[in-house]
Amino acid sequence: MFTDMEAPSLSLLELNGLVRRSIHACLPDEYWVQAELSDVRVNRSGHCYLEFVQKDEKSNALVAKARGIVWGNVFDRLIPYFEQETGQAFVAGIKVLVKVSVDFHELYGYSLTVTDIDPAYTLGDMARRRKEILLQLEREGVLTLNKELELPVLAQRIAVISSATAAGYGDFCSQLEHNSFGFVFYTRLFPAVMQGEQVESSIIAALDRIYAECENWDVVVIIRGGGAASDLSGFDTYELAASCAQFPLPIITGIGHERDDTVIDQIAHTRVKTPTAAAEFLINHMLQTAERLENCAQLLRQKVDERLRREKERLERCVARVPAQVQMRLQREMFRQERLAGRVDAAWKSRIMKEQYRLQAFSHMAVVLQARFQKEFHRLDLLEQRVKSASPELLLKRGYSITLKDGKSLTDASLLRPGDEVVTCLLKGTFKSKVIETKKQE
Amino acid sequence: MAVKKETYTEAMKRLEDIVSRIESDELDIDQLRENLREAQKLVKYCRDKLYKADEEIKRMLEAEGK
Repeated sequence: MFTDMEAPSLSLLELNGLVRRSIHACLPDEYWVQAELSDVRVNRSGHCYLEFVQKDEKSNALVAKARGIVWGNVFDRLIPYFEQETGQAFVAGIKVLVKVSVDFHELYGYSLTVTDIDPAYTLGDMARRRKEILLQLEREGVLTLNKELELPVLAQRIAVISSATAAGYGDFCSQLEHNSFGFVFYTRLFPAVMQGEQVESSIIAALDRIYAECENWDVVVIIRGGGAASDLSGFDTYELAASCAQFPLPIITGIGHERDDTVIDQIAHTRVKTPTAAAEFLINHMLQTAERLENCAQLLRQKVDERLRREKERLERCVARVPAQVQMRLQREMFRQERLAGRVDAAWKSRIMKEQYRLQAFSHMAVVLQARFQKEFHRLDLLEQRVKSASPELLLKRGYSITLKDGKSLTDASLLRPGDEVVTCLLKGTFKSKVIETKKQE
Repeated sequence: MAVKKETYTEAMKRLEDIVSRIESDELDIDQLRENLREAQKLVKYCRDKLYKADEEIKRMLEAEGK
């Protein structure tokens, strides 16, 4: 082997120049290329250097790679627009559809110069990824768990996950605090990183801290200040979505973006666009609670008034009916009394008759008694007659005398002994004598 | 505090219950008076919850935040 010294040789520069010219000649146009960003760096002069890769869909192994560049002036025009449209930072890991010119530089080699970008492609890819996450959550049966929670009637103790420095957090708190209805809210910040790679892990950590004292809170609010379009990809991760879906308190998101919902928005109990809207939502919910209460209070007054009025009317109707009733009653009473009086009269009369009968019986008895008394008087007269006729005075008048011994009248001479003294009573006067002799009656 | 939160819901439920009983003329006048008295207490309790800051809750939440 030897080098043909006669054959013209090329310097590396010449060769690379040839490659460059060939490439420009063969690939003179601009081409839309789908690729994934694997490394994105913006240098001080504002140019963006990056790396495009393509991975095997199954093995995920790299199958193509190319360096790329977005010149500063293009970057300033394209990337804010892209980020605003997608809500997605222009960072490694996302899929893009970019318009490139194929360049070759003798010193720096092959690279793609980005001249345009189609956010719709990235959005589509993100949507597909979000859809996959949602599908997985659905398969696991947790997709709608947080939505199924009931927002407490009184949702006033609010655990806020946000960045302490975010303007959105300040807006949220001041709106709640100065709500025009005078509702009371209690809030506490559970700080978390709301931007960049740490979003997922730091929000999950904040959720864990709330979970540890979850009986203290009614609702969780995840908010993030608006401002520049920025990286929302942290809110589109499976782990965060699964944590939110299964969280025992209702979660309200207000992560401030215009594009389609992030996964966490779709999982959350309620999603609103901004922190201010989250505060409004809570105030509004409280307003509903208050209205329910006031309606109830009003209904109470109204129904009680109605009822009292009805009762009063009823009473008045009763009062109006009283005289008629009283009259009827009086008549009834009179009737009753008359009947009673009639009965009393009859009873009285029958009693009097009975008494008269009894009196007549008495008068009859008086006649009988009188007759009886006369008979008795007559008997007494006879007796008196007989007594008079039996009186010793009469006998003495007729000449009989009474002999007494020791004051007792004598009827038996055998009771006397000779020498006994006896007194003899005559009609007129007495005389004393001595017994000489006695004779027994034969 | 979980208990207190429950109590608001319960108070509200009780209140609505009383209103519907008054509405349906279930109560006689004496009962009406008692129920009205209770309902007024419940309304006050609920209003206080909505509009008056509970210093105890405030303190507790702040203390645990530190």
